[in-house]
This record gives sequence, structure tokens and C-alpha cells, in this order.
Amino acid sequence: MAVRLSRRKITEYIADSLVAGASEKDIVTSLAAYLIDSRRTSEIELIIRDLDYQLSVRGIVLANVSSAYTLSEETKKAIIAMLKDATGATSIELEEHVTPAVLGGVRIDIPGSQIDGTIARRLNLLTTNNTL
Amino acid sequence: MTQLSIAELSKDLRVAIERLEQKEGLESVGVVVRVGDGVAWVHGLHKAGYSEVLKIETANGVVEAFALNLMEDEIGAVLLGTDSEVSAGDTVRLSGSVLKVPVGPELLGRVVDPLGRPLDGAGPIKTKQFGLVEREAIGVMDRKSVFEPLMTGVMAIDAMFPIGRGQRELIIGDRQTGKTALTIDTMINQGKQKTGVVNVYVAIGQKLSKVARLIDRLKAEGVMDQTIVVATGPSDPASLLYLAPYAATAMGEYFRDNKQHALMIYDDLTKHAVAYRQMSLLLRRPPGREAYPGDVFYLHSRLLERSAKLSDKLGGGSLTALPIIETQAGDISAYIPTNVISITDGQIFLETDLFYQGIRPAISAGLSVSRVGGAAQTKAVKSVSSHLKLGLSQFRELASFAQFGSDLDDATKAQIDRGQRLTELLKQHQYQPASIWEQVASIFAVTNGLFDNVLPAKIKDAQTALLTRLWKDHKPAMQELEKGDKPTDATIKALTDVAKAAAKGFESK
Repeated sequence: MAVRLSRRKITEYIADSLVAGASEKDIVTSLAAYLIDSRRTSEIELIIRDLDYQLSVRGIVLANVSSAYTLSEETKKAIIAMLKDATGATSIELEEHVTPAVLGGVRIDIPGSQIDGTIARRLNLLTTNNTL
Repeated sequence: MTQLSIAELSKDLRVAIERLEQKEGLESVGVVVRVGDGVAWVHGLHKAGYSEVLKIETANGVVEAFALNLMEDEIGAVLLGTDSEVSAGDTVRLSGSVLKVPVGPELLGRVVDPLGRPLDGAGPIKTKQFGLVEREAIGVMDRKSVFEPLMTGVMAIDAMFPIGRGQRELIIGDRQTGKTALTIDTMINQGKQKTGVVNVYVAIGQKLSKVARLIDRLKAEGVMDQTIVVATGPSDPASLLYLAPYAATAMGEYFRDNKQHALMIYDDLTKHAVAYRQMSLLLRRPPGREAYPGDVFYLHSRLLERSAKLSDKLGGGSLTALPIIETQAGDISAYIPTNVISITDGQIFLETDLFYQGIRPAISAGLSVSRVGGAAQTKAVKSVSSHLKLGLSQFRELASFAQFGSDLDDATKAQIDRGQRLTELLKQHQYQPASIWEQVASIFAVTNGLFDNVLPAKIKDAQTALLTRLWKDHKPAMQELEKGDKPTDATIKALTDVAKAAAKGFESK
């Protein structure tokens, strides 16, 4: 029986291949075949999360930015510059989400890390008597 | 390199570290993948450490958990609250430290849970000091041999199995044999004898009604002021039961490290092992013997190693441990009992048969031992109790043998008679710990044959008469004896005279 590969090992392999310039279509097909064969299709969400993380380690970062209102171009540029400085990434792609539930401020999610400057979080911390 | 350049280098290095550490508020986050049975499985948080506290942000606030399974793809974290508030998708953050609990003298007289939250309704704990729940035990060179006595006030223990400050003495026995009662007496004795020893009682999954009764008793005896109670009930999550002894030890260590003496009572470690087994199985760790995980020995050894007598350089404080283990049908060779027996410096075994024969405390003289306490026994008690243990063990063997016939030689008869009187003498009512002089005088009277003509049933009456007369007529000598030094010839003469006189009213012949 084949040894069960960890998600980390699978995604490390995929990230390395993508960075090396392998065809995305081929990789997706191979991964889908492997997941079906090893009956691990339920792990697809987690594998995508892990892949995001492995790509970010290799300098390719997809950042999800949540705010109550649409951000201006200047703010987006400032966020990209700040993320490049903080993570050392070479390529940063922003995906913007307008989420009124954050009430105010910005939350930036990058794989494995987060900057949460939203009012919603501050209120949540206040609820549990934590320091701001 | 000149002095100046070293200073500059040091400054530059600090600035560089600060800059690298402040990554614009970038925090490591993970996400709860699934949750259930008090365990949350977290994806992400690659930098999490073992036993590190995780903060799970739920819709109703932050719930804490601690990471116990660090696996390649996910983390298994045990929740410190109920799992109903946590749901899949919740954000998880690292706290950057292992669990800490409030410590300090402000906890004295309080009843708290394993996280240091008050349970007694007496307001918040006003301390700014915190202690690590998991902490490495003191090293060899920082310790000192056990040499100071920790008087329990229980004559059978202080005379035959003395306990020293810094010792770990296991109390083991079946259910309802008086294990907790022994520890309550010991706590009360610390108050009555004004030893200054701080009591820390840890209830691990004990019925809360029992804990409430214990607290009431400690209050009634005036000992609560020097006691901390860490309470967990059967309905608390296994994580809290698992943490209770470690958190309480952190509270006790504060006193040990501040040149004071503390007494830890773990009631009981059997339930602790069961709680850890539950957690381990839910964390999918491989089960071993009796389904306990492979590190169940380490669970208790790392806890009990924290009890120690510190060297003079570190202030000479001590932490004494009285762990309790409940056996099934007197089987001390079961898994957890043998583990804890091998970790501790001796055990006091309580027998069901003795208990129902009315011999209370039901201490088995044959199976109990104190491996290091001999060096710590007070000289006064030592001077009268040197052959007590052997005599009592031989008596119990002879007594069972003598049931089958009456043709016994005089020496055997005398040994049995003396043994019967000793057994009667060592019976002691609950909540009535005996002071040093009371123990010395009582044991002296019986072991020197001064009560040989007293009916066994009247031994306790004769003892009371002896102690009353001694206190009335020889108070200064008894106060001197209380200091623990070997009795002087004059004191011995006084003891002999008064014992003979006291025995008169209770003689059979």
C-alpha cells in the first residue's frame, strides 16, 4: 500500500513545479487524478489553502483585502508596498472584498498571516475583556 | 574589539531584532477545520509551539485552547471552554506563550479553577504575578536533601512513615478508606501547629459537594487562610482536569521559590490519568496499556519532580507533595498505581479491611514506606518510635496466625498484647491531629510497657488521662518536648511517672 502523502508534501511539489514553469493545466489534471485515486477529494479546500501558503513562501502572494467600502487605488498601492516590505514577496495580487460586517478599517488576509485593523475585531476583543 | 564598539554592536543588534519582529502587525493565523469533543483541529499556524495557548475568535468572543498535537498538516488543540461556541472557519491566533496562572499570596484563602479564575464569589484575584503552568523541574545542584519534618499530626504516619519537606509521599488505597481524610488532617495540622506551611489542595474531578464540605471544614478549623483550593468537578472539560495539578503546582511553586514551604495535595491522580487518556484518545494518539497513551508516566513524573527541597542558595524553600491514587480492590500493581509508586519517595497504603475493623486511619504497616522521611523525623518522635513499624507488622502477622489456637508461648502472647495496645493507640479521630509532645508521650507509654495492664479497649481513655495530667503538671517540659528535641532524662522520668499513674484507673488486673 502506498504511503499516504501529507498535504504539505503534495503542495510543496505543486508549488515548486508551478514556480519552475510547469503547465498549470497538467498539474491540475494530475492532482485531481491523485485525489480521486487516493479518495481525498474532501481535502480540496485545505489543499488549496496549503498551496496558497507554499506559493507565498516562494514569493507569490494572494492577499484578500476586506473593508466596509471600496478602497481607492492609492490605498491598494500602499497595501501592496506594505505587504512586499513585510513578507519579502516578489509578486502580490490583491483580491478585494467589500464586507459591511467589518464596520470599518481593513483586514488583509495572506496565507498563514493576517493584519486585522477592523472595528469588528476590536469590538470582539472588547467582548472578552482582552486588551486592544 | 574595544568596549565602545561592543556597546554599539549590541545596540544595533537590538534595533535590528526589534525591526524584524515588528512586521507591521502581521500576525500568524490559522483556521478551525473541525471541532468536537473538546478538541479543535486547526489548519495553519506553522510556528505554534507545544502546549502554546491558541486564541480562537468566535462570534461570542475569544475561546482559548492549547496546542497538544503538532502534526504536519494540522494542529490538535484542546479547548479550555465548551466546544459549542467554536465552529469550523473561526480564526485562530497564537498567544506566544504557554498557559500562565495567577500566583502569589493573594490566592491564599481562595477557591479557584485551574485557570486561576475565582469560584468562591469573593471578587477578582488581585495579583499581578503569573506562573507558568508547565515548567521544568529544579535541577540536581539546586536541590538539597530532605531534612525538615512535615508533621501530619497523624501518629501512625509521623511515627512510622515520617514525611519531610520536599518529599513526595503517595497516599494510596481503595475508595472510602480515608485517603482525603488523611490529607485534611495534615492541612489542619499545619494550621494548628503554626508551621507556616501553605496548603494547596487540588480537586481533580471530585464531586463539588465533597469539595464544598472540605472547604467548610478548613474554614471551621481556621486553616483556610493558609490554603489555596484549586477545584474541578466531574462535569468540567477534561482539559481543565488535566491542567488542574500543573496550575496548582505553579501556585505552590511561588511559595517554594520565595523561601517558604508549601504542601501540594493532588486528589486524585487516578482521575487525572483518566482525563489525560480521554484527551489523548480524542487527539487520536495511539493507545497503549489500558488505553492510556505512551507518555502517561511522564504526565505524572514531570508533575511530581517539581516538588523539591531547594538549596540554601535558592532560599531553602520546599514543595511537598501528597498525591492520592485510588486502587480497585486493593490492587497496587495496576498500571497507574505502580507508575506513581515508582515516582514518589514512598507510599501510605490504606486497607479496606483495616478500615472496616475500625482501625482508622487504616494504614497498612507492611505495605507503607517512607524512603527519605527518616532523615526528617523529629528527634523526639524518633526516640520513641524506632521499633514501632516492625513491631506492628509482626503483630498483624501473629494476630492472624493466633486466631487458630490459644497455645502460644509467653513471648508471642506478650507481643500480641503489646500489638493490640499499639493498634488501639494509633487509632485517631478525624480532624484531631496530635502535636509532637502528645505523640511522644503516648507512644512512649505503650512501647515502654507502661500501659501493658490497661485493657486494649481502654487505651484511648488512658492516653487522654496521660495527656491531661502531663499538660496540667508538666506543661513547661511538654512545651520543651514540642520543639522536637530528644526528651531529657527528667522528661522521661516525668513521662514514666505520669503514665504509671494514669494507667491505674484503667487496669484489667
